[in-house]
Amino acid sequence: MLRIEHVSKDMGEFLLKDVSLQVSQGEYVVIIGPTGAGKTILVETVAGIYPPDAGRVLLNGRDITHEEPRNRNISMVYQDYMLFPHLSVHDNIAFGLRNRQLEKPEIERRVEESADLLGISHLLHRRPDTLSGGEQQRAAIARAIVMEPSVLLLDEPLSALDGRTREALRKELRRLHDTMDITVLHITHNFEEVFSLADRVAVMNRGEIVQDGAPDEVFRKPNCEFIADFVGVENLFKGMCRLDNGNAIIETGDLSLVSTTCTREGEVFVSVRPEDIMVSRTKPEISAQNVFAGTVTESVNNGIVMRAVVDAGIPFVVTLTRQAYQDLDIKKGDSIYLLFKAASVHVF
Amino acid sequence: MERLAAGPARPGEDKPVNVFGHSPLKVVSIGAGMLLTAFIAVLLFLIVSHPSPENLIASMLSTEIQFAITLSLITSVVSTVLCIIIAVPAAYGLARYEFPGKSVVNTALDMPLALPPLVAGVGLLLFFGTSPFGKGLAEAGLVFVFTPLGIIAAQFFVNMPFMIRIMRSTFESISPRYEYVAKTLGCTDLQAVWRVTLPMAASGFFAGAVITWAKGIGEFGAALLLAGATRMVTETLPISLFLNMSCGNLNMAISAATILIAISICSLYVFERYGGSARF
Repeated sequence: MLRIEHVSKDMGEFLLKDVSLQVSQGEYVVIIGPTGAGKTILVETVAGIYPPDAGRVLLNGRDITHEEPRNRNISMVYQDYMLFPHLSVHDNIAFGLRNRQLEKPEIERRVEESADLLGISHLLHRRPDTLSGGEQQRAAIARAIVMEPSVLLLDEPLSALDGRTREALRKELRRLHDTMDITVLHITHNFEEVFSLADRVAVMNRGEIVQDGAPDEVFRKPNCEFIADFVGVENLFKGMCRLDNGNAIIETGDLSLVSTTCTREGEVFVSVRPEDIMVSRTKPEISAQNVFAGTVTESVNNGIVMRAVVDAGIPFVVTLTRQAYQDLDIKKGDSIYLLFKAASVHVF
Repeated sequence: MERLAAGPARPGEDKPVNVFGHSPLKVVSIGAGMLLTAFIAVLLFLIVSHPSPENLIASMLSTEIQFAITLSLITSVVSTVLCIIIAVPAAYGLARYEFPGKSVVNTALDMPLALPPLVAGVGLLLFFGTSPFGKGLAEAGLVFVFTPLGIIAAQFFVNMPFMIRIMRSTFESISPRYEYVAKTLGCTDLQAVWRVTLPMAASGFFAGAVITWAKGIGEFGAALLLAGATRMVTETLPISLFLNMSCGNLNMAISAATILIAISICSLYVFERYGGSARF
């Protein structure tokens, strides 16, 4: 278990202010925050690159605040891979094991094992600069996990990759975490990574952790305006997805949402943008796939638009223009119908 | 039909390619570069072609030139190694760390670049000849004034900034994150530099060493003042060129010059070809 206790560090341009965070054994924690929030300093401090100005870092109960990086058993992967260009992929992965002066056959066995795990066995003899971005990042991850670290630090590991490679590697990270039971601290500014990877999420801004908790909790109940603005996700629900005749049905609470954007079964997060939801007084005759009856529990005037919360078994936030709001004459306690397209149900 | 087939091979047919275009700026600026190149080529050709090849070879094989070649090689190699030993750690420190007075140190280390070598020579002569430290060294048997040791000291002092500048720019181009990763993989600070940063700096290191060595071979002014110009004692190639020129022995002088030209061309080629991102 990794415990960061009241860590502060002033690096001039970037800083950490009284950061406390705990990552339990086998947990996958994602830290999300905008550029310049101090995320990279936090992982580098955990890795032991800089000593903190104040606070402590504990690993499995041991105070490692002033321990050398090499004695921490913490591995680190950066966004831009940082593979040693003068060494082959094999020698990059073997680098740390050789430092530990393991027997040669043992090194070979473990290098092959982790290369195999990341699907890069056929690239072992290659130089890093001959690999694609995704392949380089797999090699960097292999180099990190071959050390069997107590904690794996990932600093924006997917940010330099193109869409499809990122998606593939994201699944890979989840799989690695599930099969190897590694403790992971992952930094990102992309909230999709939170939904697909995190057991727990911490939101960081200006050197501070402003909120942490389960992803749906943090995203649904942001404790400050910054998080609400930064993540900007409303109508976020956790559900079980099953595929049925080309459509995906997501069971969440008592409702079944139909989505065209889901391609996998199992636990998912879904969100529907408030402006994608249409509202009707009477049961609509059109064949929208998602039609639910609900009760208005709240309505707020936001100036140009009106926001209303409609309880349809689960609470939906809807936004309406002032004109539409007046035409419909919606009041708190009214029964109305919500309808939205299957394409508007976004799955993470 | 015929034109179509030949099309790509003869682009000049459709659109005449005029290297100089119609811009006066282009004509003047490219012309200036060309003119200078021609001037340099003429100078080099004049020197090399002045004596007959037989005379050139005979001079090169003479005891004096052989001595000058050997002395130049030994002093330049030793001073280059010394430059590497001192300049590489200094350049690393300047590239990686922030410390009070860093800009002063940076400027001071570049000073010998701007300083006329003769002035540097005066300073070195005073340092080794009159300071208590220099006298102490002399008493311990390390005599720099009017000896080959003085040549090494002069070459080291004048050329060290080149090595520092090249290595500093090389280290600056290597992200410190490589070292961070190496440290999490079990390296000490020193091992991380040795096993990761230095191999990555290899091309800059090589380029720096070649330039420092070539500059060392050509060093004249500071060496003249500190080590003097004594025939067959402190006679390096440039000193030999100077001595033989002053007493009218043109063949010997030019054979020394020819060797220096060959070394310059080779080292410049090596620097450009293998220097990577290193700049000075």
